[in-house]
Amino acid sequence: MKHFFSICTTLVLLMGCSWNSPLEIFSHPYTVDTFDNGLKLVTVETGYPNIVALYVVVQVGSRNEVESGRSGFAHLFEHMMFRGTKKFPSEKWDEIMQAAGAATNAYTTDDRTVYHAVFSKEDLESILELEADRFQNLTYTEEVFRTETRAVLGEYNKNFANPLRKLTEAVRNEAFTTHTYKHTTMGFLTDIEKMPGMYDYGLQFFDRYYRPEYTIVAVVGDIDHIETKALVKKYWGTWKRGSYQAEIPVEPPQTKAKRLNVTFHAPTLPMLEVAFHAAAYDDEQIDSAVLDLISYYAFSENSELYKRLVVKEQKVDTLHAAYYDHRDPYLFSVISRVKNSEFLPYVEKQILATCRKLQQELVPSTELEIVKSHLRYQFALGMNSSAAIAGTLAHFLGLRGTPDTINKRYALYQDVTPREIQRVARETFTSERQTIATLTHESSMTNTDSKEAYPQ
Amino acid sequence: MNGLPKSIFFTTALALLLLKAVNSLSAEPNLLKQPSQSPLINFRIVIHSGAAADPEDKTGLAALTSALISKGGTEKSSYDEIIEALFPMAASVDIQIDKEMTVFHGTTHRENLDAYYDILRSMLLEPGLREDDFQRLKDEAINFLRTTLRSDNEEELAKELLYQKIYVGHPYGNHNVGSVSALKRITLEDITKFYEKHYTNENITIGIAGGYPKNFPEKIKEDFSRLPEGRPEAVILTRPKTASKLRISIVKKDTRGTHIVLGFPINVTRGSPDWSALKLVQSYFGQHRSSKSHLFQRIRGVRGMNYGDYAYIEYFPRGMFRTQPEPNLARRQQIFHIWVRPVEQRNGMFGLRIALYELDKLVREGLSEKDFTSTRQFLSKYVNLLTQTESTYLGYALDSQFYEIGEFNSFLKNELSRLTVGKVNDVIRRHLRANNLNVVVITKDAKGFLRSLRSGKPSSIEYVSPKPQSILAEDKVIGSYPLDLGSIEIIPVNSIFE
Repeated sequence: MKHFFSICTTLVLLMGCSWNSPLEIFSHPYTVDTFDNGLKLVTVETGYPNIVALYVVVQVGSRNEVESGRSGFAHLFEHMMFRGTKKFPSEKWDEIMQAAGAATNAYTTDDRTVYHAVFSKEDLESILELEADRFQNLTYTEEVFRTETRAVLGEYNKNFANPLRKLTEAVRNEAFTTHTYKHTTMGFLTDIEKMPGMYDYGLQFFDRYYRPEYTIVAVVGDIDHIETKALVKKYWGTWKRGSYQAEIPVEPPQTKAKRLNVTFHAPTLPMLEVAFHAAAYDDEQIDSAVLDLISYYAFSENSELYKRLVVKEQKVDTLHAAYYDHRDPYLFSVISRVKNSEFLPYVEKQILATCRKLQQELVPSTELEIVKSHLRYQFALGMNSSAAIAGTLAHFLGLRGTPDTINKRYALYQDVTPREIQRVARETFTSERQTIATLTHESSMTNTDSKEAYPQ
Repeated sequence: MNGLPKSIFFTTALALLLLKAVNSLSAEPNLLKQPSQSPLINFRIVIHSGAAADPEDKTGLAALTSALISKGGTEKSSYDEIIEALFPMAASVDIQIDKEMTVFHGTTHRENLDAYYDILRSMLLEPGLREDDFQRLKDEAINFLRTTLRSDNEEELAKELLYQKIYVGHPYGNHNVGSVSALKRITLEDITKFYEKHYTNENITIGIAGGYPKNFPEKIKEDFSRLPEGRPEAVILTRPKTASKLRISIVKKDTRGTHIVLGFPINVTRGSPDWSALKLVQSYFGQHRSSKSHLFQRIRGVRGMNYGDYAYIEYFPRGMFRTQPEPNLARRQQIFHIWVRPVEQRNGMFGLRIALYELDKLVREGLSEKDFTSTRQFLSKYVNLLTQTESTYLGYALDSQFYEIGEFNSFLKNELSRLTVGKVNDVIRRHLRANNLNVVVITKDAKGFLRSLRSGKPSSIEYVSPKPQSILAEDKVIGSYPLDLGSIEIIPVNSIFE
């Protein structure tokens, strides 16, 4: 018999664990239904009493912003979705959610927009009706649209003090020439400032993307699948399918190493980002799973590099790899906040040397098993409420539209060998894929005198 | 379908419910147990001393001590070795420091319970307090104050500065992490002495929740009985001074927006008779991250001035990263405050006036019966979401011990059920006000803001779209809202927490 939240790793097996299937890390019972209009329903019965988490995942994000001057629009549209319909104007929507004691919000990423509500199970029907209505019948005036664009500018302004955002924005802009990952989800400031004049485009955006074939409704918690399916069919079943498909431009291969320095407007500690174009998320091809393991093995708190730079030499105070799952090829970055700008060349050299070592030497398999153990326990520890489970699920639904991908992905981790690590490191950490950026306060401060591009 | 047969899930859910009902507050001296059948085991170990116990010239001592315990080596293991041991379990021991509490918290899968607990126990009972860890963590604290907070997070900076201004000369008057100059004065010997004085048997409460073995709490009790006996003397809190008129601190910083927070001390904490009524008012007026709340509706919803506007009656740090508060920030004194997220610089004065205008209106008019009823209904259900995980449920239970109230969810629901709109409005009048308060503003043009304040001229607001006549008429009233100015200062950003 499997256990509640069963997890199993090689290490655990050594300790006497005896699960039937070490590969099924996502062990909650779930269902996937696809309706005639293309809408998908995913239900998960979590075992946690009383609470339901409703996550509506639209597989549209800033990746879909293919037209020039429209960066940040998917995120703006997330705001507009709270502006009501004829049947449920925004005040009425708020009132119903309030009566349900619901926690509601939404977020947008490069690849998806997610609307979520967490509430008591007795309110499931009224909230499903409410949400179905706004996805099908959103209505707002131009005045309301223009007003909301200023709330988005307010969001940009609140983020302005964060140097990591500025660094990331600059690296993406430099590393990508063609693909829409060139801009962040927030978008370019010049585009945000023009948003008040984009009312008509807003209507077109809704017509294109807020369609059942782009949408997955996930209902997670204390629920019954059959009842939930009937409710979703009742309120979402008549939603009309669309036909639009964005042509996302393909990023051509980078041909040479890039380097830039970003000047930050306020005093802050210098930062360094070493980025490489890297594989897209996949649950069949192993490369992205391999890169995940590399990010933990070589750059996490437990890595040799972290212990040296942060704990022993104390030259940097943060170091981590940022390799976020994306539908299309994105970046594998190593980001560090350095205590003194004089250390920037040294830290850069150490990061590149770590990449080189992965190419030259085989990682001990025992070390890989430790990373695999970490990933599986990390997943299990995060499954501590229906809302948390739904939140994790939404990430994977945005990528592949089905929970199956979770178990497939974690099975891939188990298959990663030292040879695979070496192969993927050789293919990824090349000078042709590399962008190195520093962020410093003083414009006169040169980023680094290191001339080292990445040698194979 | 994959996973467990349905019946097992139902049984588990039922068991979780029953165990919570029976054991949620089965506290024993220094030990709060919440057994369940979950495979996850949560620890929350509370030291009943925090930043309020810092010596005046060595603020940050409590925080640095806790950092050295949880992010440094133990007697037998270096920090490297601890990282290596925790990593395969994906576990960590995290700390949260506040004025009256230091909490060490973490979660482990039950398969790793013994190994995890051994590390946790060693950290608290046999800390290494090593020189190299000390230097690293002191650097980290200084970098946090100078860079992470002061340079990179204007929103948190404004809120923390408001607390500092309200609590001048008071044990709550320093940032929990201290100041740069005080941190530089702290020695390893100070840390050792603080540890010996405050990490004592009678000054600790160990909270544990999850599917731990039956005899496990006894083992914890036995282990922690090794701590020295005694309890440090309680920190005496005086009432903070009431601000005279509007005491305004303007921070000059190169920023795109204008940040505004304002507030004043209240004589209400979670254990007070008026707390639930004031909680309801706070939720109606400025529920954190809720588009339904009044302030949000008037400032962002109708006018699109910024990203959000909220109100609080309890300390709520890191609000820009969180939708719900963290437990174990219990205090004997609290403030009421309003957080106006950055407005465009040209609308800065209007931003201050609209916050004061709405607060004044709340105090004068109170809540309508309809608003009272809907907010009460909301809170009665929403409370269940605050304690969704076993770890937060445990955290709230520990706070309930601090405030000497019952199980939090039942307590709040019960209290709410007894309220009337009349009582709520009476509580507003007795505890809230729109004058005699502190204001913190962060803006690029500090002098310009100061000039606008002193000019006495009405403030205007610029829109990108036409507004209804009713809004424009209200804007005129808001723009002329009288500012009863007291002291005004301009603070260079680099001096804050230095």
